[in-house]
Amino acid sequence: MKDSPNDKSRYLCPYCARVFDALEDLKTHVFAEHKDEPLRRPEGLIRLKINGEVHEVQVEPNWTLYQLIHDELGLTGAKMFCDRGACGSCTVIMEGRPILSCMTLAIECDGMEIETVEGIAAKEHPLIESYVKHHCMQCGYCTPGFVVTAKALLDRNPDPSEEEVKDALAGNLCRCGTYPQHPKAVLEAAQVLNARREVKNDA
Amino acid sequence: MERDKYIPDTFRILGKRGTRRIDGFRKASGTAVYTRDIILPGMLYAKWLTCPYPNAKIISLDTQRAEELPGVRAILRYDDPEVYGRRIPTLQGGEEDILAGYAYFQGQQVGAVVAADTEEIADEALKLLRVTWEKRPFILEAREALEPGAPLTRPEWRPKSNLMPLFFQPTDTFRFGDVEKGFKEADRIIEFKARRRYHGCSDAEPVSGITRWEGECAELWLHHQHPYEHKWMMNMWFGIPMSKVKINAPYNGAMFGGWNWIDYSMVPQYVSALLAKRTRKPVKWIFDRRDDFTFGSLDAMESEFKVGFKEDGTITAVKIKTYFENLSFEAGLHFVENTKIPNVESQTLVAQVNKGPVHAIRCEQLPPAFAAIHVFNHVAAELEMDPIQLALKNDGAEGEDIVKLEDFKRKHGFPLRDSLRECVEAGKKAIGWDEKWHAPGAHKLPNGKMHGMSFIWDHEWDDNRGAGAAGLMIQQDGSVSIIALRSDVGVNAESTYCQIVAEELGMRPEDVFLRQQDDVHLPLMTPDGSCNLTTNGYVMKKVAKRAKKKLLELATTTVHMIERDVPPAFPDMNPEDLDIKDSIIYVKKDPSIKKTVAEVVKDVKGSFMQKHEYGAIQNTTHEPIYAWAWHRQGRLGKEPGRQRLCRQAHFCEVEVDPETGEVEVTKVVNVNDVGKAMSPETVEGQQYGGTYMGIGRNRSEEYIWDPKTGVLLNGNLVDYKFASMRDVGPIETVIVETSLGLGPYGSVGIGEDVATDTTNLLQGAVYNAIGKWVDDGPITPKKVLEALGKA
Repeated sequence: MKDSPNDKSRYLCPYCARVFDALEDLKTHVFAEHKDEPLRRPEGLIRLKINGEVHEVQVEPNWTLYQLIHDELGLTGAKMFCDRGACGSCTVIMEGRPILSCMTLAIECDGMEIETVEGIAAKEHPLIESYVKHHCMQCGYCTPGFVVTAKALLDRNPDPSEEEVKDALAGNLCRCGTYPQHPKAVLEAAQVLNARREVKNDA
Repeated sequence: MERDKYIPDTFRILGKRGTRRIDGFRKASGTAVYTRDIILPGMLYAKWLTCPYPNAKIISLDTQRAEELPGVRAILRYDDPEVYGRRIPTLQGGEEDILAGYAYFQGQQVGAVVAADTEEIADEALKLLRVTWEKRPFILEAREALEPGAPLTRPEWRPKSNLMPLFFQPTDTFRFGDVEKGFKEADRIIEFKARRRYHGCSDAEPVSGITRWEGECAELWLHHQHPYEHKWMMNMWFGIPMSKVKINAPYNGAMFGGWNWIDYSMVPQYVSALLAKRTRKPVKWIFDRRDDFTFGSLDAMESEFKVGFKEDGTITAVKIKTYFENLSFEAGLHFVENTKIPNVESQTLVAQVNKGPVHAIRCEQLPPAFAAIHVFNHVAAELEMDPIQLALKNDGAEGEDIVKLEDFKRKHGFPLRDSLRECVEAGKKAIGWDEKWHAPGAHKLPNGKMHGMSFIWDHEWDDNRGAGAAGLMIQQDGSVSIIALRSDVGVNAESTYCQIVAEELGMRPEDVFLRQQDDVHLPLMTPDGSCNLTTNGYVMKKVAKRAKKKLLELATTTVHMIERDVPPAFPDMNPEDLDIKDSIIYVKKDPSIKKTVAEVVKDVKGSFMQKHEYGAIQNTTHEPIYAWAWHRQGRLGKEPGRQRLCRQAHFCEVEVDPETGEVEVTKVVNVNDVGKAMSPETVEGQQYGGTYMGIGRNRSEEYIWDPKTGVLLNGNLVDYKFASMRDVGPIETVIVETSLGLGPYGSVGIGEDVATDTTNLLQGAVYNAIGKWVDDGPITPKKVLEALGKA
């Protein structure tokens, strides 16, 4: 695999047979000397930032974003529940907005910045702990979708009312009926975040 | 069955709030793994052809084009020799076609299964199949199916009639006392009809499963309520020893019975095992969301009631005739189990209709709850009597009043508490019953809507069945492993098991862990109801007691090594001199003499050959602290002579819009006597969750078939509505703890009860609001308007 970044083999210019150690150097050479771009990004190769990390992935045109992040990248937090945009379990945050990854084509996400529940947990967002504390889950299948939706709410509204929390989460389905616990957890997480912000501002 | 003999006066851990749940972080952070998430190297995906007609037979099937599609690895046909004409035994002694060449409902998985590299290729291949169907007449209504000369709905299964043999019941007419005598004693007799339409489970995780063969050994991944039983199934199906079958039970995306119970859902696992054998690759069978609508709840029923009662509210006779669709459960049961009504007769007729199979979905008690709640609603209304007074008047068991229950309590060491009265008092206060209760249709609100209230009651039944086994090992770092396999069902049950062990063993809860997904050959009770905690709780109690005994023996016993004797952690002591608290072993007479459990078990003085504290396997100085236990909790169902003592009461308030027919649920109060709440948050989880499920069923959950084509019209979660966050007003939960349960510490489970009863909570409230009955669930706006004469 010549295009693997870890490959130690050397790269041969197809025009003048000059040898390069790094693929990037070969690309620069071909473009500068031969006025060509022989290593064009193939169709379907997309680059996106997920939880702060860059991923370059070759996707099929029919893949959903859910398939890409769940099946290909192994981020299992986005869940397949209703399979048609009715339940919110596959929610991820794209460019700051909560979106349904099962209703979004992966190929359209080139250049996008995406946050999943795994990223939210890795940053120790207080929502995770407050969800555990307030027992906002039974089977847990829909829980990541709620957490992501709530995170997107708190990003744009750091101090929501209980009614605003309910409105934000009204589109997420939970077959176990854990609904009454969620607003408590979200409001508590908002308090924790606001307290953190105050400490930061004071310092 | 007796009451728990070992109930302590005080608890350190159980019953207290704030114990961190052990599945919490994994589930909130998306790292909990479900069968749907699992992808194995080289894994193929198996998907089924489904029948577009409600009653049809395959005349011919051409698979050639599908077979030629790149990425298709195998196609199993109904006429392949491995499956043709074959039925396989299933969990509950039934049989199912492996792959039939005929279908009895639209959407049935028949004819062909494709195994392909991806789901998309499998779907594409299914489109390339060429099928010629023989369409046959179909019937969707139970009464119609039972009419003389009706076309056969399952000609291959039942070539003579559409009447289905009974599954749960021994006889088609259940008789207790003498109803004719009861009607003669009555001051008044009423007759009415009520109906509950076909609804389903809509579990969060669409069902799937994986089979992988490793030589003659099989490994299965199961989204199923009964994972362990699959070993037995593999033995029956393939003749391989149970010891060569490994199963994995990942977390389950919702599990309320139904799919995970029904025999039908075992067949795909068998098919995946067949295809895995053929292709020598792991095969994951996949049902998509529409496939999930194959199946429904066993309370698709229509009942005719005749009830006799006296002016004071004493009910003297109940007679019921019920038409069920595809399966039944005894509708008259609760009158005998928890009322003093002396005469009950209930006839059951089950018609096979061209709809999918049904089974218990939270739960099998839906039909008797449906019957009892409707009868109490109607009698109270007829007498213009407070329904609470009517309940208290008729509480009892087996035709006798509560004196019988008091005798039972006295005889078996239970406290003499009146569960129903306690539940009712707590609930009345919470909802403001005395201030708000009014005559039917008498309270119009300033917003123009009609205010209504209802009260329903029942017993709690989840303390009486199942068996489970578990091991327990204290690791050398002092952490405790519960060793058992179980399917994740219910709220946070794994944490509660850890809490029980911590309580009984003297450990801190955080030092006890259960990883229930692994096959360790010790199955805890695989949930077949909410009885798991009341059965498995006893297993935990027993295993912890045994381990504690061994631990204290080790702490006081000299270990004889080859070169030397190693003195015990507590020299010159006997086990009974010691106790354990917060993971520390201490001397009872002088608690300042103490050592942590970790210090005692790590090895008497570290490894005898090396300097590590941990004595690696070949260097350990003492046998591991390991114990195991088994418990059987009664039989399936109530044993003769054993009474159910705990009660539940539910209250609600609604606002009915007389212009639109919309029913808004503005308040629900649940009162459950759980005997002992081991984890209050868990009890509340069941109370909230059960209410949302029950109210959703009551308002909107219904499968709708096109009467002209027999096609299911709303097999998706856009058109099939279960309750979302905004669909129920505030829910107040009240936990009553009378210690009257037969489970550990006097407990009884409520995982089934709340959802089952609240499925019939709104009928009384709607009547109270508008003065008209809408006894046809779900109560849709259209039905309300019809009752009001406006549609």
